[in-house]
Amino acid sequence: MWLWFSKLGSPKWFYELSGKWLPWLVGAMIISMTVAVVWALLYLPPDYQQGYTSRILVVHVAVAGTSLAFFPLMAVAGTITLVWKMKLADMVAKNAAALGAWFSFITLATGSLWGSVMWGTWWEWTDARLVSMLFQFFLLLGVVSLRSALEDPDKAAKACALLSIVGCINVVIIKYSVEWWNVLHQPSSPLSVNSDSPNGPEFWIATIIMVLAVYLFLSISLILATRNEILQRERRAQWVQELVRNS
Amino acid sequence: MKPHRRKTLGIIIFIAIGLSATVGLIFFALGQNINMFYTPTQVAEGEVETGQSFRIGGMVKEGSVAGEDDSLRIEFVTTDYVSDVPIHYEGILPDLFREGQGIVAEGSMDLAGVFQADRVLAKHDENFMSPEVKAALDAAGATSENHAELSGN
Repeated sequence: MWLWFSKLGSPKWFYELSGKWLPWLVGAMIISMTVAVVWALLYLPPDYQQGYTSRILVVHVAVAGTSLAFFPLMAVAGTITLVWKMKLADMVAKNAAALGAWFSFITLATGSLWGSVMWGTWWEWTDARLVSMLFQFFLLLGVVSLRSALEDPDKAAKACALLSIVGCINVVIIKYSVEWWNVLHQPSSPLSVNSDSPNGPEFWIATIIMVLAVYLFLSISLILATRNEILQRERRAQWVQELVRNS
Repeated sequence: MKPHRRKTLGIIIFIAIGLSATVGLIFFALGQNINMFYTPTQVAEGEVETGQSFRIGGMVKEGSVAGEDDSLRIEFVTTDYVSDVPIHYEGILPDLFREGQGIVAEGSMDLAGVFQADRVLAKHDENFMSPEVKAALDAAGATSENHAELSGN
């Protein structure tokens, strides 16, 4: 277990292993993304009250759910950075922040579009779900700026790790905001396996496939960015120089 | 685990627990203030003063909508199935607005006990279903999808 753990921290080992995985991940993402998009645009039944506008939920729910994974991911990586000082964990955390900001932005944008049609408003400052999501967007931008504001990379890594751990509290607030307080945003839909009841499989299967596709997209983006980071930070290492020479 | 690492981990866990407790207490203290709207029952109990601007959230009561053909004026009653509050509004309504629909209205109570709304938003629930399923549920008399929404809050 500890041998595996320390191996995982080796940038060289990660670089080689991720290189083997990437084609498979990309293939799986293209297939699942295509299936989900085609299904959502052509076959998802209209909702009885929202009509075809409800199709936006496939994208909105998948991206919103995935965007909640960033702070926990960065917090775990941050804890590893602070306690075990593993270089790889910080490389992952560094690139996750900017990616997470994009995911939050897409969540806000798709939600805004949906709300403008269904609720009659683009934005409500008094809705706890909306505002806590906007806060996550700013918090992630904050992590990105904090990193670039501190010149010493070690100090920057530590500060970002701590901010990431703190940011996890907001994820809990986003998740339960619709249950704790009166808001305009609807609560999360309970999935039903029965197609004769609300939220039947015909509504959520496409969303589940989209969630898978979005998580694959997240993993691929993160792996690619981390590989870049590895090459940059380890540019003086022998194995990187050999790699460059042979390519 | 080496002692200095255990110490660092301990500090991190301490900070995390301390911050969670702080945030939890802040939200506990803010309480009602984070809610987006008052329910008709809260209004009936006098939690809001006349003339004060606030938002009210409830269902459009069945059979209560009355409008004129030549203007955008509309009168309806919002309910949480315990108390009713009449609402007057002049303006554009969201497409989802209809009897039995959840709404959030912004405005204030006048002296006659009528809520004068400046804005009306539609609040839909978390239940998605095709028109066929909805029709089947209505036929079976099993639909109460909008009732569940308010009782959950």
